[in-house]
Amino acid sequence: MKKFLAIVLTVVMVLSLASFASAEGFSGDIKIWVADKAVDFTVNQVETFKAAHPEYAGMTVTVEAVGEGDAANKVITDVESAADIYGFAQDQLGRLVQAAAIEVVEEENAKKVEAENDPGSVSAVKVGGVMYAYPMTSDNGYFLYYDKSVVTDPTDLDKILADCAAAGKNFYFEVNSGWYQVAFFFAQGCELTYETDNEGAYTKLNTDYASDKGVAALKSMIKMAKSPAYQNGSSLSTATNVGAIVDGVWDAGAAKELFGENYAATKLPVADGVQLSGFGGFKMLGIKPQTDDAKLAACDALAAYLTSEEVQLARFMDPNLQWGPSNLNAQQNEAVKADVALSALGAQLAYTIPQGQYPGGYWTTATGLGDDILAHKLDDADDAALLEVLKTFVANCEAAMNQ
Amino acid sequence: MSEKNKIPEVDIVIDQEAGVIREVKPDKLRSKKGHERRVNTSIYVTLVLMSIIWLAPFVFLVFQSFRSYLTESGGMVNYLLPKQWSLDNYTWLLTDPSSDFLRWYGNTLIIALFCSVLQTFMVLSVSYALSRLRFKGRKLIMNVVLVLGMFPGFLTMIILYFLLRQLGLTQDGAVPGLILIYVASSGMGYYISKGFFDTIPKSLDESARIDGATRSQVFRLIIMPLAKPIVIYTILMAFMAPWGDYVFASYVAFGSKPNYNVAVGLYQWVNVNDYQGYFTRFCAGGVLVAVPVTVLFLALQKYYVEGVTGGAVKG
Amino acid sequence: MADLEYFKLSKPQKMLRGIGSFFARIPQGIVNGLKKLAQLVVSLFKGLGANIADLFTTFKNGDWKTRLSYLVMGFGSCARGQWGRGILFFLFQTVFNVYMFMPNAEFSGCYYLGKLSTLGTVETYKQGRKTVYGDNSFFILLYGVLTIFFIIAFIYTWRVNIKQNKINEQLLKSGHKLKTAKDDLDSLRDEQFHKTMLALPTLGVTVFTILPIFFMILVAFTNFDATHQPPGKLFTWVGWDNFNQLLAMDSASYGDTFRHVLLWTLIWAFFATFLNYFLGMLVAIMINKKGIKLKKMWRTILVMTIAIPQFVSLLYVSKMFAADGLVNTYLMKWGWISSPLPFWTDPVWARVTIIVINVWIGIPYLMLIATGILMNIPADLYESARIDGANAFQMYRKITLPYMLFVTGPYLLTSFTGNINNFNVIFLLSGGKPLSLDLAGGAGHTDLLITWLYKMTVNDTNYKLAAVIGILVFVVTAVINLIVYNMIPSVKNEEDFQ
Repeated sequence: MKKFLAIVLTVVMVLSLASFASAEGFSGDIKIWVADKAVDFTVNQVETFKAAHPEYAGMTVTVEAVGEGDAANKVITDVESAADIYGFAQDQLGRLVQAAAIEVVEEENAKKVEAENDPGSVSAVKVGGVMYAYPMTSDNGYFLYYDKSVVTDPTDLDKILADCAAAGKNFYFEVNSGWYQVAFFFAQGCELTYETDNEGAYTKLNTDYASDKGVAALKSMIKMAKSPAYQNGSSLSTATNVGAIVDGVWDAGAAKELFGENYAATKLPVADGVQLSGFGGFKMLGIKPQTDDAKLAACDALAAYLTSEEVQLARFMDPNLQWGPSNLNAQQNEAVKADVALSALGAQLAYTIPQGQYPGGYWTTATGLGDDILAHKLDDADDAALLEVLKTFVANCEAAMNQ
Repeated sequence: MSEKNKIPEVDIVIDQEAGVIREVKPDKLRSKKGHERRVNTSIYVTLVLMSIIWLAPFVFLVFQSFRSYLTESGGMVNYLLPKQWSLDNYTWLLTDPSSDFLRWYGNTLIIALFCSVLQTFMVLSVSYALSRLRFKGRKLIMNVVLVLGMFPGFLTMIILYFLLRQLGLTQDGAVPGLILIYVASSGMGYYISKGFFDTIPKSLDESARIDGATRSQVFRLIIMPLAKPIVIYTILMAFMAPWGDYVFASYVAFGSKPNYNVAVGLYQWVNVNDYQGYFTRFCAGGVLVAVPVTVLFLALQKYYVEGVTGGAVKG
Repeated sequence: MADLEYFKLSKPQKMLRGIGSFFARIPQGIVNGLKKLAQLVVSLFKGLGANIADLFTTFKNGDWKTRLSYLVMGFGSCARGQWGRGILFFLFQTVFNVYMFMPNAEFSGCYYLGKLSTLGTVETYKQGRKTVYGDNSFFILLYGVLTIFFIIAFIYTWRVNIKQNKINEQLLKSGHKLKTAKDDLDSLRDEQFHKTMLALPTLGVTVFTILPIFFMILVAFTNFDATHQPPGKLFTWVGWDNFNQLLAMDSASYGDTFRHVLLWTLIWAFFATFLNYFLGMLVAIMINKKGIKLKKMWRTILVMTIAIPQFVSLLYVSKMFAADGLVNTYLMKWGWISSPLPFWTDPVWARVTIIVINVWIGIPYLMLIATGILMNIPADLYESARIDGANAFQMYRKITLPYMLFVTGPYLLTSFTGNINNFNVIFLLSGGKPLSLDLAGGAGHTDLLITWLYKMTVNDTNYKLAAVIGILVFVVTAVINLIVYNMIPSVKNEEDFQ
């Protein structure tokens, strides 16, 4: 009984201490998930944050490695043991909101985010009209890396393919990904967007894929896939014998290493007379719903700090990361402007469409279409047949809204 | 079926190890000699070809593991032999401070050791009881296990995860959590060892019982000493399985990198985009996992063969 | 048909007839299965009735100790000096009561039981900025199921407690002594030894297999998916809706995709079982031939593939066969092909590749099994066949094959159902790809039901459909088992082998 009393007393004391502390700060545990290679960086930044904010000096922050691609899934599966602050890629935001696994950004912070970040990233962290996350990077776009000694004219897709074929090298473009595929459709002026309400439920699909423009885009992809030099893929470390690859800044280091002095990067080429477009995507930090106001305030402050101008810049400067900032001031930094990969991304930016919210069913539908192209199922189809294919595509996208 | 495939069938018929060939008349044998030689040659050719096909992936794996991720390329390449042989991948795995490989290896080893003891205990208990004891509900238990076995294993992943979480055995508690999950239902895999117990003559128990031994004494003193092959088989199987479990292990341990097992740790290096250029390290890690398991397996091969053969025959 | 006529038929006719009679027996098999089920239900109810009747008579005829035991479990045992048993009974009842009627409602069995019909009604809401979680449907369902299990266990124990009273009364009446705690412990090492041995495994299987399966079956009748995800959102009962979505024919449902995946699952299981079986047997025959030297070495080389963890070997092999992988690169370097072979991109190629690679995995197992069995075939069978002038192939057809098939019948069955759920090979090799616009629900051309289920659980957190697929896999497996059990003689009788 004495023991029991002692435990109760301790618990009461700890609780009262905690609530006392919360008036000014927070001293409990906070868990953060970021990509493996960003763990050390984040740990250092958290230390800086604690040094600058004595009211938070008492809290214990653990940083764990969960990739941006996986985080959302894990948070949705078990929100209670998930991290309080987690980094994730934009395509997951809709799901997180629908599953009530992400907290709305605090009002003051939201205003600040809106003012300081590029408009694409600001729209990307919103679902309906509500801001749910803190933009962290604005470099989730793609462009062309190539080997100068192989590719003579990087502005035209046919020539790139011909050069690669002649040199016995491969050209990589991930046609079975909904993220890359839009490069062809949007280039033709097609549209595919979803509208959502504030809770993340999809309300409307706007698309004109099932049209002549869509057929033209599809034909370009089919033609590309027929080339002997063509390979499906977008990751340098699994690609072999690369002549050119459509890929993002995260592979800049690998590309430099691979191509050596022939390393070059530029905007996407022209295919069948139109400049390829593409998605601009973003990485962001989300906060899971909290049952304690003090902890929520601490998470807000920490997430805001981790996505602030100086940290975004530091993240770019870190040789392991080099993530391009979404913060407008950081984007104006000389070093950022001078980066080869980022300037290629910048050159592509004019043709890039900021990525909005897409349901999971869109991505599998797009993969389905891409796989059909890769299986050469559509090689001999005429325009009418291709239009039918795109109608099925749109119907599947429509059905995806309710799944 | 091609001619080549038919020929060997001729030869089981004269199954030598069963001693049939002695009965064949010498002159008949002589006339068959040329034919026999041709048959053997083609069998050797097939076996050599097969050996190459079976070993190739592992040899390739070993080759790639010696390609340096520092000086050459850690990613995938389109050639086989490294331009320069190097131990960089192994050095990184075993000594680099940012590598958790040894930790993962240790986790898996702990899981495997606990499983091989506890699972063996469970499996032997169940199979002994069902094989040599007769009691009410015995048939019922066997039928229930049969029916339960028809549900696919991954169906219950989410609920098992939450059961473990209620016990605090996920993420940081993943290692004991996985041991619990592996062991808890392992009794359902009793078939093979039951088949073995079925073959031990009943009269052994009966005479011991007449001499006044209790059933538990019969089990400990009479049956267990005879059951060595099946005990080793069960231990071996229980020890090997955790090395390959990716699916459930990743589901239980997510987020807690120090508590991964080797499969989860290595799998992400090839399939998660955050890890560029880890392919050769994956190969090296794969080699380090495969070598001890293979050596152990080959050393105990005899028991494995007895186990699967018995299992297949008895069902 | 008379036997005589049967023998007059040509071989293809015989085969057709065999296949025909196989299918003809399916309805009979199903009918028999249903009959057995009906018998089981009837006997269950009969047993229940008898038990209830016995409860009344025991109460009527029993003394006050027995009667009080109806209320206070273990009272009779204690009163008659069996303290050990009595205290255990009493403890169990106390734990049960505390669990069911705990003052802290959040944790009591009654609380969860009461919420089971709705799976929770209190929504999660915001108080200022912080979140106040409402009911958690998942835990209501989980603890609801757990409570039901507990109640069943309680009723059973209560019944045992009463039965013991009755037995004890009779024993005392007839002048026998009651068992002491020491007797009980001794008997757990002897007459009741099976209880000692099965206690832990039964507990493990109940909590970690039966309870979860029961739970997931119930999930199939709820709308538990990504948009109804506890703790933020509630989920509730929806009846047969999910079965409709998976099986119905209209375009918004997954009916076509389901049939596609099911068909491939069966084709896959067939090839994975029988192709491996015959090729493995062939290899065993080759290695075991007398003139062949280095038997042990050949066997060891093949067997090594079993020991190497599949996530290493299969992941690696999968990358080898990629469009830009080693196989294609070298074939092109040598000039055998001009463009990469579509191992993983073309649906048919992908399926064939998987089956072929699976042969690579499967042959070693089958080779080992076949080796063991071939050695057991009595040599004089071949001898007498030889004297009758049979040639090699005939002997294989008439002796080796039938013997193998007879002995390994049960193995073939378990192997077939095992292949239906062969997750690793598909997951590690192709991941179910390639997808197609023709397939819905994220399923690909090489997806088995089990890998589809996995995708639904892990990628889409669509637990309701995953649960339905799980149930359907069970149905398919059960039907196959029932049919085969009624046809293969060697599966049936376990005592034959003793």
